[in-house]
Order: sequence, then structure tokens, then C-alpha cells
Amino acid sequence: MKKTLLLTALSAGALTMAANAYADNVDPEKDRKQLVDFIMAKAPKVSFEDYRLGAYIYNADKRAQYEAVNEFPPYLDAIDAGEALWEKDKAVYEKCFGSDVSKIRPKYPYFDDKRGEVVTLELAINECRQNAGLKPFKWGTGDIARLSAYLAYNARGQKINVKIDSEGARKAYNEGRYLFTRPHGQLNLSCAKCHAYNAGRRARANILSSALGHTTHFPVWRAKWNHLGTLHKRYTGCMKNMRWDPKTVGGAQSEAFRNLEFFEAYLSNGLPIDGPDYRE
Amino acid sequence: MKNKLIHALAATAVAATMLSAPAISSAAGTADAKVIAEGKKLAFKRSKGNCLACHMIKGGSLPGNIGPALIAMKLRYPDKQKLHDKIWGKPEQEIKYSMMPPFGRHVILSDDEINKIVEYIYTL
Ligand code: HEC
Ligand code: HEC
Repeated sequence: MKKTLLLTALSAGALTMAANAYADNVDPEKDRKQLVDFIMAKAPKVSFEDYRLGAYIYNADKRAQYEAVNEFPPYLDAIDAGEALWEKDKAVYEKCFGSDVSKIRPKYPYFDDKRGEVVTLELAINECRQNAGLKPFKWGTGDIARLSAYLAYNARGQKINVKIDSEGARKAYNEGRYLFTRPHGQLNLSCAKCHAYNAGRRARANILSSALGHTTHFPVWRAKWNHLGTLHKRYTGCMKNMRWDPKTVGGAQSEAFRNLEFFEAYLSNGLPIDGPDYRE
Repeated sequence: MKNKLIHALAATAVAATMLSAPAISSAAGTADAKVIAEGKKLAFKRSKGNCLACHMIKGGSLPGNIGPALIAMKLRYPDKQKLHDKIWGKPEQEIKYSMMPPFGRHVILSDDEINKIVEYIYTL
């Protein structure tokens, strides 16, 4: 067999890139509507609200298993642990977030015009701790996920309502969108290939969820992890599967990850907050 | 690779044999059993081709359904070079927004590994 000759240097060079140097330039609201229509057209019988259930909307058996697990969900202890964390440093948190624990989760993520960047709930928690002289939690799992779960639980049922009303916010959306839609990593995959174009299909035995609803229910208790983890931990896992080193864009809570969350959360506007939740 | 006409002829011959006797896989140019077995291993292994993530392949368990079933490859690719190029990821063979990874272009598999996989899937 004759070798197909082409320079591989080109593609190798494309594997590493500084994310925030790249952005799309679309109107977020028009874009969101188009994406929601595109995704929902794949499964005409599924209601909008159900998109908080991720891949389970595409398979009745898996959905039944999920519902069975959620009769006595494995994350209940974590919610209690999150409450204990809140009580322990209550004075500190109330100064940052106010005293009504049902009003905190729905504020995030938001674009902070003064800072010129997206602020996520987990970032705000750690900044609050650090400003009070407390040690920040480690990203991904453990106390950050427990406290986040407690705050999500208290806000269940409220709608995601991310606002884009400044040039900076619009830019953050477009940077998140760029990260989501362009192929990255050795396998030449993009988030969009799995979670938009092929949502509902199977990669091996895994059914692919749609990006609509990706942020509703985090943090999640994954059977595969056997613990609770944040959205950014999940992003890291998918990037590794794409053979896209998360460190090349900064990892959990980097500007790139926060923009990606901002994009996905805006896309999910109108869906109910449903965290924490269980996933396979 | 030889010229197009020969391939076209070979293709009709293959098509004809497949219609009359589907079990036959010994058309001219078939690689030896060892290479085919190695190709199968490379195609199934998760850290190598992992083709089952997306393609149904006879004998493979829990296949994905993102790409088309890999079946009747000789019929679909009378020109073996084209099949090689497709898996290698030659831009002219690429389909926009497709999940199919460019295995050679992105240095996921070596040319030698791709050759072996081609020999294997050519038997399907
Ligand atoms: C090769 C396919 C593939 C790619 C590419 C991919 N993912 Fe995933 N992703 C999966 C699978 C499989 C799961 C587990 C099943 C599910 O929930 O979709 C998953 C799960 C997720 C979840 C959790 C969904 C839930 O309901 O809890 C999020 C969030 C996510 N992916 C985001 C991303 C982002 C962001 C990217 C790009 C950086 C990405 N994924 C790239 C396959 C992929
Ligand atoms: C992540 C998903 C994915 C993986 C892994 C994958 N493919 Fe594909 N493949 C696709 C998709 C989607 C298509 C259809 C669109 C296209 O042609 O690009 C395709 C198309 C093909 C075609 C063309 C089929 C036709 O009828 O023209 C061949 C041949 C093929 N793949 C072989 C392979 C082999 C061999 C491997 C493993 C070494 C592999 N693929 C791994 C997704 C994948």
C-alpha cells in the first residue's frame, strides 16, 4: 500500500493553542434558539423540561434505572455534608452570598462587567473563603462539590437565567462557543460532535447527551467515580477522552472553562435547576 | 496502486463472487491471515483504532452507532487506496463535522498499523 504523504507537523501544531485568542462572533440569543431547535428536532417527543435529565431522555431502560436509583439517591449524605460546611463558616459565606441559601445557585454563572470575566459558583466560593483568610477548597471533588450540591439542592426548580447584556458577556459566550464547536485534540473531536450533532447516538454503550441541559444538575454523583464531582471535573474527563489536554486551556476554573460553562448555561436558559443528580 | 481500469474490473469480479458465494474472501491481493489478525486486534483495541466506539463490526461487542456498519468493504471500496486514505484522514475524503478521526494525519496510528486495519476490514 502506498503511503499517503502529507506533513503531519501541521496537525501536531494545531493540538496546542491559547483558547482565548479565538472566538466566534454570533448573536447569542439567535444562536441559542437555533441550537435548541436543532437539538430538539432530534427527539420530537421529548419535552423541553426533560432535557435536565441528560442522556436518559434517549433510552427508556436507562431512564427507568436512573429513576430507581433516585428513589434513594447516593448523594444525600453529600448534601448534609454541604450544609455542615455552610454552617461551619456561615458568617463568612453570608457576607459574600447573603443569608438565603435558595437565592445563591441561580445567580451563577454570570458575567461580571467590572472584572471583565465570567464568575462561576465554585470560583465565588473559593474567592469568598480566601478573602476571609480560609483555605480554598480543591477544585473538582470533595468539599467544593458538597457545598455546591447544598446550594443547588436549595435552589431546585428555579430556572436557569443567564443574562448577556454587555459586549464583554457576548464575547465570553462566543469564546465558550468556539471551544465547544471546534475540533480539538488528537482525535479531531469537538464537544459539538458528541453533544450536538450526534446527541442520542451511542459511542460504544454510552448514549450521548445533548448540551442542552448540561449545566442543570451539577454537581453529579457518578457511579463511575463513586463520588460527587463538579461540572469542570466532567469537562476535564471528556477532554481527556478527546485526547485534548485540559491544561492547554488552563484546566478547571480557568477563563476558558468558565467561558465554556457560560456558553452551556446560557444554552440551557429556561430549564430548572436540578442539582445534585445521579449519573452512570 | 495500479491503474483505475484494473480496479474497476476487480470490483465487478468481487461483486459477482459476493452475490453468488458470500463466504468467499480470497480475491486477488488478499493479505495473509497473520496480517489480518493483527489488523483486527488494532481495530478493536480501545487505545488504538477503537473503531467499535462508532462502528458496528461483525464479532465486536457493544458497538456504537455513530458511523455506518463496517460491512461489504470491498464493494464500497473497490479501490483499496481510497479506503486507506479514508482511515488515514486525507482531507479530500473527509466529511465535514464527521466524528471519524483522521488516524494517520493526527498520528493516532502509524501507516503500518493503518495498512493492517485496511487488510482486516477488507475481509468484512
Ligand atoms: C467522543 C464523545 C465525546 C466528546 C467529544 C465529548 N463528550 Fe462529553 N460526554 C460523552 C459521554 C459518552 C458522556 C456520558 C454520557 C452523557 O451524559 O452524555 C459525556 C458526558 C458529558 C457531560 C455530563 C452530562 C450529564 O448529563 O451529566 C458534560 C457536561 C459533557 N459531557 C461536556 C462535554 C464538553 C464540554 C466537551 C468538550 C470539551 C465534551 N463533553 C466532549 C462523550 C463525549
Ligand atoms: C469517533 C467515531 C469514529 C471512530 C472511532 C471511527 N469512525 Fe469511522 N466513521 C465515523 C463516522 C461518523 C463515519 C461517517 C462519516 C464519514 O465518512 O466521515 C465514518 C466513516 C468510516 C468509513 C467510511 C464508510 C463508508 O461507507 O464510506 C470507514 C471505512 C471507516 N469509518 C472506518 C473506520 C475504522 C477502520 C476505524 C478504526 C480504526 C474507525 N472508522 C473509527 C466515525 C468513527
